[in-house]
Amino acid sequence: MTNHDTGGAAPADHDIDHDDEPLAPEQMLALLNDQQRSVQGQMGGFVPIIMLTWGVAWLVGFGCLWLIDGLQPEFGIPLGLAIAVFCVLIAVAIGVSTFLGVRSSRGIRASSGSSFTGAVYGMTWWVGCLAIAGFGGALAVNGMDRELANIFYPTAYVLFSGVMFIVAGAIWRAVPSVVLGGWTVLIAVIAPYFGYPTHYLVLAIGGGIGFLGLGIASIIHLRSLRAKTSGTASATASGAQSRG
Amino acid sequence: MADLDPVIHAQARLRITAALATREPGESIAFPRLQELLDMTAGNLSTHLRKLEDAGYIDVEKSHKGRTPVTYLSLSKTGRRAFEDYMETLRSVLGTTS
Repeated sequence: MTNHDTGGAAPADHDIDHDDEPLAPEQMLALLNDQQRSVQGQMGGFVPIIMLTWGVAWLVGFGCLWLIDGLQPEFGIPLGLAIAVFCVLIAVAIGVSTFLGVRSSRGIRASSGSSFTGAVYGMTWWVGCLAIAGFGGALAVNGMDRELANIFYPTAYVLFSGVMFIVAGAIWRAVPSVVLGGWTVLIAVIAPYFGYPTHYLVLAIGGGIGFLGLGIASIIHLRSLRAKTSGTASATASGAQSRG
Repeated sequence: MADLDPVIHAQARLRITAALATREPGESIAFPRLQELLDMTAGNLSTHLRKLEDAGYIDVEKSHKGRTPVTYLSLSKTGRRAFEDYMETLRSVLGTTS
């Protein structure tokens, strides 16, 4: 290896001299753990923003769908406006997730195996969403009326999303994603029992709580990573000073 | 600490191997991203990477992103095994099991 993309930067001699020395074993173990937490924190820093964005999208989006008829006759949102708000919020959440996901993985090159897994997983979202639309169309042809379609579509999409969260958790060994997926499947199955329009309220609150809860949990997790990192960093620094 | 691998048993190289070990086998990190994750100067990182490469602990692959050359780095099989052995030795020296 003769030349990295260093942009011609000269080695910082002082840093090399210092970094070439070992510390005491307990400080080296702390440094090791510290570095891995730091990388995890930097790589996962986007997760809370994605979760909070989806939490708001579900809460407000399904909330708007509920408000079409949920508080009638005192209050009601026009059908077109509610659907527009719902679609815009979901589109924004997809956009934010894509942007932050791509940004977080910049400079990371996956193995061919995991690239294939990721591509198939991504395509499965589209395949599933289109299949549900096709399935719903077929049910309509076979006599599903508008009231039943109001139950079928949100339930089917939420159920599919929940299953996909579980699959994502299994692929990338992320327990929180499995929990979120299980919760999402549960509310998808429970919500239809409340009937129209209350099922939208159940999805709004249930889904909103799921995402916002996971968002808050990931903020707490990242803060604890940072706290442990700064704790061991200061311990390591003081250890280095005492050695010097 | 005669038993601790001298290639890894230096602050900078321990940090580099620890960071690379967080990725799955087969995944690699571009030089500028690794530099950002480690908060090291390019020259310093480059120097320590060379020592790790000389020991056969990292795989270095030069590629192109458009017209820009990019160097991707990953732990080699030997490097991953050496890092695991290092952690095990460190823990046995300290008398910890986790």
